[in-house]
Amino acid sequence: MAKSRQQIRDEMTGLLLRGGLIGVIAFAAAVAFMVIPIQIGKIWPTTSIQTGYRGTGMDVIRFDTQIAATVAANTPPVLGAPIPPEAGAPLAGDAYPFAEAAGVGNLTVANFDRLNAAIAVWVAPEAAFGASDGYLQAISVRHLEMTRAINDEWDAHVGPTGVNCYTCHRGESVPLDTWFSPEPLNNWAGPNAMFQNQATAMNYSTALPVDAMQTYLLETEQLVGVNGYDSRNTTGEPGASIYHTYQTFSLMQHFANSLGVNCTYCHNTRSIADPAGFTPQWASAQIGRAMTQDINNTWIVPDLELLPPERLGPLGDPAKVNCATCHLGAPQTFNGESAVVDFPELVSAEPVYE
Amino acid sequence: MAEYYNIFTQVQVAGHPEMGVAGGGAELGRIGQPGFSKLMGWIGNAQVGPIYLGSYGLISIVSGILWFNIVGLNMLASVDFQVGQFVRQLFWLALEPPGPEHGLSIPPLNDGGWFIIAGFFLLVSVMTWWVRSYKRAQALGMGYHVCWAFAAAIWLFLVLGLIRPILMGSWSEAVPYGIFPHLDWTTAFSIRYGNLFYNPFHALSITFLYGSTLLFAMHGATILAVSRFGGDREIEQIVDRGTATERAALFWRWTMGFNATMEGIHRWIWWFAILTPITGGIGILLTGTVVDNWYLWAVEHNFAPSYEPAMGAGGYVTPETGN
Amino acid sequence: MALLSFEKKYRVRGGTLIGGDLFDFWVGPFFVGFFGVATFFFSALGTILIFWGAALGDTWNPWLISIAPPDISYGLGIAPLAEGGLWQIITVCAHGAFISWALREVEIARKLGIGYHVPIAFGFAILAYSTLTVFRPMLLGAWGHGFPYGIFSHLDWVSNVGYQYLHFHYNPAHMLAVTFFFTTTLALSLHGGLVLSATNPPKGQEIKSPSHEDTFFRDFIGYSVGTLGIHRLGLLLALNAGFWSAVCIIISGPFWTKGWPEWWNWWLDLPIWGN
Repeated sequence: MAKSRQQIRDEMTGLLLRGGLIGVIAFAAAVAFMVIPIQIGKIWPTTSIQTGYRGTGMDVIRFDTQIAATVAANTPPVLGAPIPPEAGAPLAGDAYPFAEAAGVGNLTVANFDRLNAAIAVWVAPEAAFGASDGYLQAISVRHLEMTRAINDEWDAHVGPTGVNCYTCHRGESVPLDTWFSPEPLNNWAGPNAMFQNQATAMNYSTALPVDAMQTYLLETEQLVGVNGYDSRNTTGEPGASIYHTYQTFSLMQHFANSLGVNCTYCHNTRSIADPAGFTPQWASAQIGRAMTQDINNTWIVPDLELLPPERLGPLGDPAKVNCATCHLGAPQTFNGESAVVDFPELVSAEPVYE
Repeated sequence: MAEYYNIFTQVQVAGHPEMGVAGGGAELGRIGQPGFSKLMGWIGNAQVGPIYLGSYGLISIVSGILWFNIVGLNMLASVDFQVGQFVRQLFWLALEPPGPEHGLSIPPLNDGGWFIIAGFFLLVSVMTWWVRSYKRAQALGMGYHVCWAFAAAIWLFLVLGLIRPILMGSWSEAVPYGIFPHLDWTTAFSIRYGNLFYNPFHALSITFLYGSTLLFAMHGATILAVSRFGGDREIEQIVDRGTATERAALFWRWTMGFNATMEGIHRWIWWFAILTPITGGIGILLTGTVVDNWYLWAVEHNFAPSYEPAMGAGGYVTPETGN
Repeated sequence: MALLSFEKKYRVRGGTLIGGDLFDFWVGPFFVGFFGVATFFFSALGTILIFWGAALGDTWNPWLISIAPPDISYGLGIAPLAEGGLWQIITVCAHGAFISWALREVEIARKLGIGYHVPIAFGFAILAYSTLTVFRPMLLGAWGHGFPYGIFSHLDWVSNVGYQYLHFHYNPAHMLAVTFFFTTTLALSLHGGLVLSATNPPKGQEIKSPSHEDTFFRDFIGYSVGTLGIHRLGLLLALNAGFWSAVCIIISGPFWTKGWPEWWNWWLDLPIWGN
């Protein structure tokens, strides 16, 4: 049956109204679709840095509050400018009997006092030269030597920021984040299982091995890399074991958590061992690891006899350094500010004053 | 939109329990007085039980309990038998395979020996359960499709725990028994062998995994959409096509241009589901034995994207330092 | 094109949401409808733009073609076409195409007098896609957080976004989603297997009944969910897999920025454990 004109007009009107209504709803939905997430995103705002080519997903995302807290926690105390020595100024070696042995004899008294006062703030009053008897003095002498060595020999990792006592100590006699060689977690298991499969602070709540720092930041035998250079294994030798891979992955958890970043800060994880995917930070981390091994083996472990029993770990070892000791959750110590601009005494035994 | 979607049963009807079709002596091996669960009745049948025990079932359960207890006791031992810590660390605990130095020999108990023993009991349990699936179908005069599907899953299980470790010459390559530890294994495996996303069989397996999920969403939704016409009576619809099957088929024909039949859809879903572990098992088997680094293999075969220019420092401002 | 033997009686007018009779026809086996036209438009435009993006790149190898989102530095603005702008337009086209496809399924369901289960289920999948390409980038303040449109490049994105959280397997929503994916596949193999085993018995046997299906599963595992229940179960398992996947990615970044293992500290540090 054919429709009347009125019927057709009614149908068209109905269609128009219906289409219009649907259009309005669709438009409102589209707007809500977009506006609501933006508004929610402003409640806990984040800042992202893109560390790789667009779309690769290489990003470091952090809450703005996290960033602010990191900045605040890494702001060092301001301790005054160095005093350029004048001719004929009295030297610390003449004024203080311990100064020569401590390696600070050639400083002017004014600069020595300034440095010593800084040490008292950076570490603890007892750590200042001449402030106490006993093992602390010996440690302070060694650590001054260490600080100068780090600033000199390892400037590939620490320069131009450099390090001072506060970098590790942060106002504490013992730095906040150090590590002891781990006892087995599992007393029933053999070597493949004794150091893994429980959540601890050392493995950052994973089930990964806790002997990663021991293996990679103290001992020097095992390579971190577990991948070969060929798609086929033509060497005839089996490659790295699964346990070795767990240890490396555990070390990487430490690297990332120590700096408050993630794996993509250094790697394009789709080819995690491929240099074409590394960021410049990867190289910095390599040098940092070598530096950490050097610090532990040259300055920390040899000083074992100096330490009283309460400073030792369950296996009788001293507290050692790792990435977190200096970085404490920040990508760069002191927010990138120089630690040594006011303390040339920490850069060299023959300080140069600008 | 005020129509019934048939997701949950509105009126549960209770009657006498169904004690099962007779066949092949099965009725002799059934045990248990069936119960009724209203909770289950919201979604499916309310009846729970009876179950057929049988010799293979008995062996499987006993062997499985042995496996479970060996794993559990080793986990308990690893926390020095403190039950509180056992509960706290449960997801992190594991029974680990031996170290690589032992190769394929049986290692000391505490260095993977228990793992091998537990694995043996798990193998017996799974294989006897498989035989059970065959015999139950046989007794009822049904096809063996469930049993062959189970075999596909067992293929993957055997590859991971038996075949590949043997080909690699070391039990240390096997997967640990533990919640987080088996996930650590998965990540370590991918890191060690150059990123499994570039393993073409891994990609196929994921395609079938997601495809299976897609298909069950499609099939489940379709049958529910025509349940008002008795679409869930699939066997009846297969032998005597009714309007449910016709509308379901036409829905998909008009949507995407082709359709399955009421029987054929079950072949599609069966194949998608079993190809998931079949291709996955092949992918695992080839890893470490044939290919040592899947990314480099992909580069050689021209399917690894390259990203130019790379970025890193110089491409962003670190918020903490401002530079 | 040939209709199915029973099809003619179902080809009636009606059921459309928009457009009335104007687009109520078929092209071959495909129903058109207003949303069929819309789908075709968005798909064609999106595909052309993908080809354009491929042409801007250096390869026609289908495994390597990739249309990448903009740099993060563009925030939520529109980027130049060759610097991620194409990705943005393609994403709009994808939404248009997917939503039109779902609405077309609604029209087809209405015409056939069946439930809307399929388009609603598809809606879950669309929401998962929107989560990845719209909601999460908007929460994070930059379109650049979306995934690239490329076969292997999108996998590189998955790898890197996962490692942003140091060990993504510890994400509890991810654990749930993965469990649902595997369980769905298990249930799918069992359902397909069961129906086929009843309708394809060994040679010489009769076709079996739903009672046989129930008996088999009760014998096997002590419970049979039934012919209706398995379809509800399968749909619910599959939708949960998609839902928890969307949840697991939207909490990563906008609501949690540390490694996922660290999230578990709430459990490890409960006071009830003593020390």
